[in-house]
Amino acid sequence: MSASMDAAITARPLDEDKNAQDKKKASARSAKVRNGFEITVLSAPAIIVFVFFVIVPIILGAYYGLYKWKGFGSPSTTGTFVGLQNYITALKDPTFQSAIGHTFLVLIGSLILQGPLSILFALLLNQKFKGRALIRTLIFVPYVVSEVIVGTGWSLLLQKAGAINALLEKMHLAGIDWIANPKYAIWTLLVIITWKYIGFAVILMLAGMQSIPEELYEAAKVDGAGFWQMQKDITLPLLAPTIRIWAFLSMIGSLQLFDLVYIIWGQYVADTAGVSTMATYMVREGRIAGNYGYGSAVALIMFIISLIVALTYQHFVLNRDLDGALTDAKSEKKRKKKLMKEQQMAKEAIAIADSEVK
Amino acid sequence: MKFKTIAAATLAAATMFSMAACGNNGASKADDSTITFWHNSTAGEGKQYWDDVAAAFEKANPGVKVEVQSIQNEDFDGKLQTAMQDPSTGPDVFMQRGGEKTEDLIEAGQLMDLSDKIDDTIKTDMKTALTAATFDDKVYGVPVSVEPGGLWYSVDLFKQAGITDTPTTWDDLLKDATQLKDAGIDAIALGAKDAWPAAHWFYWLALRECSPKAFQSAVGDKDFSDQCWVDAGNKLEDLNKLGVFNDGFLTTSAQQGASSSAGLLANHKAAMELMGAWEPGVVKDLTPDKTAMKDLSYFAFPSVEGGKGEEGALMGGVTFFSVNALAGDNAVKFVNFIASKENQENYAKAFSTIPASEPARNVVTDPALKTVISYLDKAPTMQQWMDTDLGSNVGNALNTAIVNMLTGKGTVDDIISTMKSAAAK
Repeated sequence: MSASMDAAITARPLDEDKNAQDKKKASARSAKVRNGFEITVLSAPAIIVFVFFVIVPIILGAYYGLYKWKGFGSPSTTGTFVGLQNYITALKDPTFQSAIGHTFLVLIGSLILQGPLSILFALLLNQKFKGRALIRTLIFVPYVVSEVIVGTGWSLLLQKAGAINALLEKMHLAGIDWIANPKYAIWTLLVIITWKYIGFAVILMLAGMQSIPEELYEAAKVDGAGFWQMQKDITLPLLAPTIRIWAFLSMIGSLQLFDLVYIIWGQYVADTAGVSTMATYMVREGRIAGNYGYGSAVALIMFIISLIVALTYQHFVLNRDLDGALTDAKSEKKRKKKLMKEQQMAKEAIAIADSEVK
Repeated sequence: MKFKTIAAATLAAATMFSMAACGNNGASKADDSTITFWHNSTAGEGKQYWDDVAAAFEKANPGVKVEVQSIQNEDFDGKLQTAMQDPSTGPDVFMQRGGEKTEDLIEAGQLMDLSDKIDDTIKTDMKTALTAATFDDKVYGVPVSVEPGGLWYSVDLFKQAGITDTPTTWDDLLKDATQLKDAGIDAIALGAKDAWPAAHWFYWLALRECSPKAFQSAVGDKDFSDQCWVDAGNKLEDLNKLGVFNDGFLTTSAQQGASSSAGLLANHKAAMELMGAWEPGVVKDLTPDKTAMKDLSYFAFPSVEGGKGEEGALMGGVTFFSVNALAGDNAVKFVNFIASKENQENYAKAFSTIPASEPARNVVTDPALKTVISYLDKAPTMQQWMDTDLGSNVGNALNTAIVNMLTGKGTVDDIISTMKSAAAK
């Protein structure tokens, strides 16, 4: 049937039609050009900034990382080419290994501590009660305060002879050396981080909860569901995209953790106190020690570790939220195909089950 | 396609531009009438002194402007290094402390050789201090102060613990520290957060334990094989085991605020501190009423029984000001200006320290500083601070390894091995 229709179309020898087609083609071409021009102009600022402040520094960093270089002059004149030696030294350095360990401890610790806590807080703040706005603000305040103030404040409070220990003493409890004792320092840091960043998590969760349709809860209530059951079966599943995005942001933040540690423990003793992170290691061994080549190598290792973590998370966890945004159409199609196949199989299974029942 | 062309063109232009930026090291600074001047006093009379000197220089040289920037001490080296990535936009005159950091700058051709440009009075009046700014017989800086280290203590607290004579031997020091502790006083303030204050204890013990030859081969060739380094570490362990440092010394900073180690001494919360001769000036800003600490006094680092070091040798720093290799004549004029006797006298008063110029030392009235000068006159040599001499790379590794040892995270042997691995970075 279709073959005959095609024949019918091509068989129509109409000049005006051809003319129109040409016009259409031309306008399509000009639209395409205009489109391309618009894309270029509109994205150029972003691309230029991205290239100069992200791509070029990464390439330069990788290049500096190949030299033993003190930061004066250019690496090719005042430095010594050492190949991959800087990378090997860094990966073999037990101080860097422990810094990586601390970073990942903070990463996991933040997820475990902040996740459930922020959901609970958001649940509480999602209820109607007096003074809700005030509490919402209070929880968000630490997130707004600058890291330097938070670090200075907590380090004064948590000193051996600081306010917290004085308070504990009045309650007849013996205070410990919260920040100077390597045994406790990392846990103190985790608590401070939780205190500082939980406001952000709570706001995200709250926004997520408010986008859940009220009808679902009403229907559940009619069906006789209790409060916790509703949270478990409605809130949590529908909050999942928010939780996944929050976890991603939290992970990226943990991988870059620097300022709080730097303020509380200073330039040198973060490793001694057992709270060094990849970033503080990079600054201490690269910038402060004046080993700019080595520091660049460490920076690149940090970049690769972060990239691996981010890509892995995106691939396995985030991709379902990012359909059409970051992933291309192909993978979306692939996933849809897979889904259809699964549904097909389920149908078949049901059919088989049906026939067996019969 | 169009985008690709544009992108390629931008990238090419950028590459050429950055290459050109790398290649302009030979050019001199365009504007000689403005001098950018970097120093490290951020508060009090010290900051005021530099502002006054700059104003006086501007008055004496009409048309010249001095842009004074005061930079926090701990940030100074890092900022300087960043600024000197491009010397043509870096500061013209800046503070230096000698050792390998200065040598790195000289090697990169960024410091001006001042040998023929400084006044003759500097060469005579600052003869001893000038050696710290001299490398390969060339002068690269004009000194302003000489800061030997030693133990600064509170006379009142020593009295309160029943100590009459200041300790002259290491064993005496251990005994006195215990006595202070038993009297319920924190014997020694230690600002280990900055690492170097803790490391000073090790440097001094090494200076007493090691023969001058062993000491030189360590700072010169980074050879720490002599037994004296282990002995010095063990002696420091002995002190550490007594538990005489202030609580939480790991997160105590050296100079910032009342809870810093200098602040503890200033407020009679600890009895002594091992520090350089800048201590009276630092302590002055940290006492409750911001006046000089009345019962502050000084004694030299005690001798160590069986030590091979020179009797009475001192260790300390010399602060000097170097000139950017690309700077103009006005910058040279400025460093000569700050070295005048009058400015040196004012410097000594403002910073409560020992000026580099020997004739200017007459204005020092602080009894503790006078004691330091008397030790200085007697000392056979004054070594540069070890971390300065070793450079920030190995020096920082040494400092943090010592802090590690004091907190029980490392051993004496780790100090030596950490320095070796730092040299590989």
